[in-house]
Amino acid sequence: MRPQFSIIFFTTLVGMAQGLLFFLALSNLYSQATPNAFLTHLGLPVAFILLCLSLLASFFHLGHPERAWRAAMMWRTSWLSREVIALPALMAVTAVIYFYALQSEVPQWLWLALLFTTVILWVCTAKIYQCIRFIQEWSHPSTLTNFMLLGLASGLILLELLIALWGGSAAQIIDAPLSLVSFLLLFLSFNLKLWIWRRNRSLKPISNLSTATGIKGNNIRQTSMGLMGGSFNTREFFHHQTDRMIANLRKIILLCAYVIPMILMAYAISTPNILMITLALLINYLGLLAERWMFFAEANHPQNLYYQRVS
Amino acid sequence: MSKSKQLALVIDLNVCVGCHACVTSCKEWNTSGSAGPLTDLNAYGANPSGTFFNRVQTFEAGTFPNTQTVHFPKSCLHCEEPPCVPVCPTGASYKRKEDGIVLVDYDKCIGCSYCSWACPYGARELDQERQVMTKCTLCVDRIYSETLPESEKKPACVLACPTSARIFGDVHDPESEASKAIEERKGYALMPEWETQPANHYLPRSIMETIDAARNDK
Repeated sequence: MRPQFSIIFFTTLVGMAQGLLFFLALSNLYSQATPNAFLTHLGLPVAFILLCLSLLASFFHLGHPERAWRAAMMWRTSWLSREVIALPALMAVTAVIYFYALQSEVPQWLWLALLFTTVILWVCTAKIYQCIRFIQEWSHPSTLTNFMLLGLASGLILLELLIALWGGSAAQIIDAPLSLVSFLLLFLSFNLKLWIWRRNRSLKPISNLSTATGIKGNNIRQTSMGLMGGSFNTREFFHHQTDRMIANLRKIILLCAYVIPMILMAYAISTPNILMITLALLINYLGLLAERWMFFAEANHPQNLYYQRVS
Repeated sequence: MSKSKQLALVIDLNVCVGCHACVTSCKEWNTSGSAGPLTDLNAYGANPSGTFFNRVQTFEAGTFPNTQTVHFPKSCLHCEEPPCVPVCPTGASYKRKEDGIVLVDYDKCIGCSYCSWACPYGARELDQERQVMTKCTLCVDRIYSETLPESEKKPACVLACPTSARIFGDVHDPESEASKAIEERKGYALMPEWETQPANHYLPRSIMETIDAARNDK
């Protein structure tokens, strides 16, 4: 598939916001771990801005953004439609919590609602890809797990940075344990990614030219796709990059999304340091952009069987 | 008796000569009709690119000297279980109950391309200029036309085919020419592994059976 930057930015930004909100909700569920002032001045506004940016990015994916409201209509059957409802729902819950935090304490049921909505949005986003049964790379529960783990990791590093920026005694107490948890999340998602890449390499295509054309005989090959200058089919479903570029990008993904942030986090466990955490967040996000690019590029669509040869 | 109607095309791979007359007549009718315009970009440049509802591709099979060339027209198969329809977030993609044609409502389409991802056949093309998803309509504006003579109430591709390789009809009606062709000549569906139940069928090349039989006799 062709990686599209609108969706790459959308899924990575919204994932980070979800991770941040998830851990804000989790840490405040039973007893207030972060002060109200932190929530209203830093935590919730940053999450809300990320949600707005991701929403903005998603509009660039549409041919007719002015009709985007229509996308909420088919929630009974379409995961994309459900996502279109779940994202504003998450924004609404975040906004309500913000106003509660301004006034007084945030009730426990609201934190629970926030926790619930972030997970729902993850399910909707991942299911958009996972439910396409004939894209074998995507049609697997690891799609959801990968989105969730990476979102949780980047969101937690962001939370850690915000707490460190906020300063005070809280930062010194909780930044080390947070570093440990983000290290573990990165380690888990790193292993999951390696496993996904192994699985993708070993996939046997279910469709082939024989089932796609029904032609009887061996050694079926295309001699003409019926067009010479390219079409939607040749643009939308191929990444048009060399094998070498893909191989190099895989190394960059492993380093930036996982290994370097893990090293920085390991360092931050012993000596919490704003610079380390900022670096980890930036490098991890660049790695996430590449990881999401690859998520699309390595998905093989069966329609490509019909578009092999120009003449 | 069949309870519903499912209009479809049956394509005879024995006689398709790959002339692309169905491609051009489809484009001509639909770019000027209610489904159009089907935009062409850079039409006179080095890399012309445009929207088409129908393409003719060519495949080869076998090993020299026992090879065969197969011309293979490809358009929307109007699946009985269309995977492109439930994924549409706006309801712009729909399958008509009355005749089984899968259509796109251009006024509702937001151009997200998700339906094209959900079609294993690559039958949908996003129009670059109009930014809406387009696909074969089975010439719905011809077959229900109130002004065309009865003999012309068929898809443009069917009328254009010089070798009658395209048969149009109701595949739920066992008496239709299309159903009989599928029944008598072992019509098959593309990518049956995804259980989309395409309404369009293809008739296999029976000439290969004759050739194989001759080879086996030797």
